[in-house]
Amino acid sequence: MGIKLRQNVLEILKTLQEKNIECDASELAKELKIDYIILMSAVNDLDKVKLGGFKEKSIDYLYLTDEGLNYLKKGLPSRQLINYLVKNKIKEISIAELKDKSELNDKSFYRAIQNLRHNKWIATSKATGENKVYIIADDFPTTELEIFLKTFEKKPFNDKSKLSKKEVELIGTLNKRNLIRREKRTQRLIFLTPEGKKIDVRKIEILKEFSKITSQMLTSGEWKNIDLKPFNVSISGPRIHAGKIHPLINIINEIREIFLSMGFTEIKGPIVESAFFNFDALFQPQDHPAREMQDTFYLNNPKQSKLPERERVEAVKATHENGGDCGSIGWGYDWSYDIAKKVVLRTHTTATTCRRLAQFYRENEKPPVKVFSIDKVFRNERLDHSHLAEFMQIEGIVIDENVTLCDLRGLLTEFYRKMGFPKIITRPSFFPYTEPSLEIAVYSEKFGEWLEMGGSGIFRPEVTYPWGIKDPTRVLAWGLGLERLAMLKYRRGDIRDLYRNPLKWLREVSY
Amino acid sequence: MVKGGILLKGGIKMPTLELKVERLERLLGKKLNIKDLEYDLQWIGLDLESINEKENKIKVEYSPNRPDFSSPEGIARTLKGYYELELGAPIYKVNPGSLEINVDPVVNKVRPFIVGGVIRNIDLDEDEVATLMNIQEDLHWALGRDRKKVAIGVHDLDKIVPPYLYTAVKPDSCKFRALQLEHFELTPAEILEEHPKGIKYAHILEGKEVYPIIFDKNNEVISFPPIINGILTMVTDDTKNLFIDITGTDFRAINYTLNILSTTLSDMGAKIESVKVNYNEDGRQIITPDLKLMKWTVSKKYINDYIGVNLSETEMIKCFQKVRFNAKPSGEKGKIDIWVPAFRVDIMHEVDFVEECAIGYGYFNLPTTIREGCIGEFHPFQDYCNKIRKIMIGAQYLEVVNFMLTNSERHYNFMKREYNLKDHIQILNPKSKELDTTRTHLLPVLMENLLFNRSEEKPIKIFEVGEIIELDLSTETGARQELHLAAASYHENSNFTEIRSLLDHLTISLGINEKIKVIPTNSPTYIEGRVGKILYNDESIGIIGEINPEVILNFNLEFPVAALEVNINKFPGKQLI
Repeated sequence: MGIKLRQNVLEILKTLQEKNIECDASELAKELKIDYIILMSAVNDLDKVKLGGFKEKSIDYLYLTDEGLNYLKKGLPSRQLINYLVKNKIKEISIAELKDKSELNDKSFYRAIQNLRHNKWIATSKATGENKVYIIADDFPTTELEIFLKTFEKKPFNDKSKLSKKEVELIGTLNKRNLIRREKRTQRLIFLTPEGKKIDVRKIEILKEFSKITSQMLTSGEWKNIDLKPFNVSISGPRIHAGKIHPLINIINEIREIFLSMGFTEIKGPIVESAFFNFDALFQPQDHPAREMQDTFYLNNPKQSKLPERERVEAVKATHENGGDCGSIGWGYDWSYDIAKKVVLRTHTTATTCRRLAQFYRENEKPPVKVFSIDKVFRNERLDHSHLAEFMQIEGIVIDENVTLCDLRGLLTEFYRKMGFPKIITRPSFFPYTEPSLEIAVYSEKFGEWLEMGGSGIFRPEVTYPWGIKDPTRVLAWGLGLERLAMLKYRRGDIRDLYRNPLKWLREVSY
Repeated sequence: MVKGGILLKGGIKMPTLELKVERLERLLGKKLNIKDLEYDLQWIGLDLESINEKENKIKVEYSPNRPDFSSPEGIARTLKGYYELELGAPIYKVNPGSLEINVDPVVNKVRPFIVGGVIRNIDLDEDEVATLMNIQEDLHWALGRDRKKVAIGVHDLDKIVPPYLYTAVKPDSCKFRALQLEHFELTPAEILEEHPKGIKYAHILEGKEVYPIIFDKNNEVISFPPIINGILTMVTDDTKNLFIDITGTDFRAINYTLNILSTTLSDMGAKIESVKVNYNEDGRQIITPDLKLMKWTVSKKYINDYIGVNLSETEMIKCFQKVRFNAKPSGEKGKIDIWVPAFRVDIMHEVDFVEECAIGYGYFNLPTTIREGCIGEFHPFQDYCNKIRKIMIGAQYLEVVNFMLTNSERHYNFMKREYNLKDHIQILNPKSKELDTTRTHLLPVLMENLLFNRSEEKPIKIFEVGEIIELDLSTETGARQELHLAAASYHENSNFTEIRSLLDHLTISLGINEKIKVIPTNSPTYIEGRVGKILYNDESIGIIGEINPEVILNFNLEFPVAALEVNINKFPGKQLI
């Protein structure tokens, strides 16, 4: 049976026969000055005719750590000290001053001093009452360790390298000082089968096979007469670093589409917000715990906001104090303008929806109005794996005549169905600015459990009446957090990852 | 924090309560299955926190507007309605008592109101004592704003002699032994400095010239509200009768607190007895606890319309009875008279009955209806952002999304940019001292992203399109948001030409290439001679160039960075909010 091989495969076979040992694939590629991929495809060809192949091995490689790399550039701590002394022609110096002048931390500094003494390059003495360093050698030849460190410049060692006893000892020293680290890598070893080793290459027929079609082949018609080398279509290609949309933006856009399909218009509002719209207009009493400094970011600059038109402010004030004209008994306290003028980073986008109520009043709009926002809000929290100081809220409202709690349930059912949750329950809950209020739990097929997925309700009359929105016109509202959704969707355990942009995740995320 | 329900909860922390199923069974007089109970509790507005089947316990969260849920007794009341074991308002008897508290008008200067009650024949087991402690803590928090608005004192009635005097004294004008520091006599002023409770709550009395004190007939100190009680009235195992004082700044809130406390003790088997409070200022006498039901009249149509159902009068009355209100047809047609128990503090408006009716009816029984109408539209700004995102990913740039809160040191000093905090947003009280301002540029955060990812495979090409905040005292809230785009390329060969090509790709794709010019400029962030100012219709909108090596090293990077940042607010017809 005649074996046919391409010219370059034949060359590689020859080289392997001459070497007569197993070769590391990447080293061989370098040696032959050919692409790794071309080499491996040649090996693949050899494998097909049972002349050769490759096997994989996991190998520990030794690399320099960041600190090691730093010393490779700047010299070991002992060398840095000697260089400093030599350069400045210093023959004696107090340890304290030398320490001061060096950029070394305590541990490295004192170890360096110890090593220099060991090399008999310096001596230390307290004879003058001060702990001093004296140079006692005339020259300072490169040490074995320094020479060895230099070898890392060229290539990493691995546990298969043939090491002398001395080198093993030096590796031990570097390891002790945390200057090297180990990393597992897969090594591919190319070998020849017994047939491959003994086959006479002169008897192999050269296959005229091309790896690609050139423009010239196309125009000349030569393409008809050539064999195109087949590709292994089963293996993955190398990774490409494409541009990609951030996973959070991806979800945001999906949810925006859902709102749009349900007839909602997108709104935006200020992040730097007045306490008036963030709290007062939502009927949160001025001594409410949620308004305290420990939960809310107050600003020092700007310090004060301007309140809206006087009569609306008075309406809100009256609602807090005695219920105003909405039929409520109010909170029964003296409402303060100054507290309402404070400036905060908005703690919820309901501040923005509330501004939409104000606009409804000012522009004398007619219901229905359906709007939504997906935007940033802030809470004074310390960051950890489950807490953020800023995050995104998804919120929708409907202003309409004769809308009901049942309409709200219908709206929620539809919204969550479009989000992929056909099963939801709504149960009684409490929010300071809605009545009735309800909480939404959705059934997740993926997790096999009910998940709390948002809050909802009809804005209290105390919230809507100051903006002229009076029964039977009512405002339905609901909202949920984006990050929780994102963590479930992308299965991230640490919420900070959503904003830390680990490239490994961003490059490989599936939407 | 990122619970689903966070949005409308407005950041409010939810108090929790542990329920022993056996105790609930005793209170209800009914066998309970823990799994069924778990299911049922959600329909009266209690959120399950955890369930321990082995020990037969359930932990629930209750809403801060329902402080009457702060005890198993309070929850049992509502559950009895839910299971239809009892309908209508629970009945509490208040025996008329003779004890009097005289109120000196001087208290108006510091803590104007007091009410009180007597509880006789208490016989509490270990669980009930724990509940009593717990409920005080919860009420101090939920109604009392951490004692500022309401403070509770519980005393052994038999150790003091009535009538009592509620007055206010100079901070060092009397001495008494306080609980927890019983070995010394201290003045109120000393208590604020030395007693642990004094130190904790001193802020409530800050700047006051007189401090509130309750004396008994013999001038013995009963209590120094809202700080600490005297040792005299300490409650022990032998205590049989209690005197409860509630002081505060809000008359409504102190009454609610007394009502919740006394009804709970009554549910534990004790007898409630009233106290006369004489306000000497105007000769007014009030008798507390006042457990009279509060009457409201609501419209049947209003409630049906709000919920979207059509309940008959009888059905609706049953719903109210199930949530433990008394209800009956009103004399007025189409109206229902409702009597609300005195422990319910959350009824402010007719609309509150809508929710109660819906709970009585069962949220799970409500139909779902769909309302149609309205044509939706995206915000032009978000559309514009998405357009730019598409252009940028086409140029193989990866999108990043960063926080708006940032640190001024990294945001300015690391970039070699000068700044003056008075020109920027300043956060007054950040918990993480790190976060002292909001971003005005995107490039510094992209540099941080490069640092975070510096060991990832190069080239690293990233962009962000997002908002920044500028101080602007001419606006209503003192600031304005603008939209920026920034991009950075990080690899061995990144350079000006590369990033300039990106800018051209962007402006060509947006169709504004002809209106864009780049002219030489200076910026400490960039390398001199390799930085340009980007002009749009001759107005400066951004900067492009190679980053100064000093800046690169500030971020601990090891390759050149080419970058651009533009304010895209200035592009045609797009204005943020």
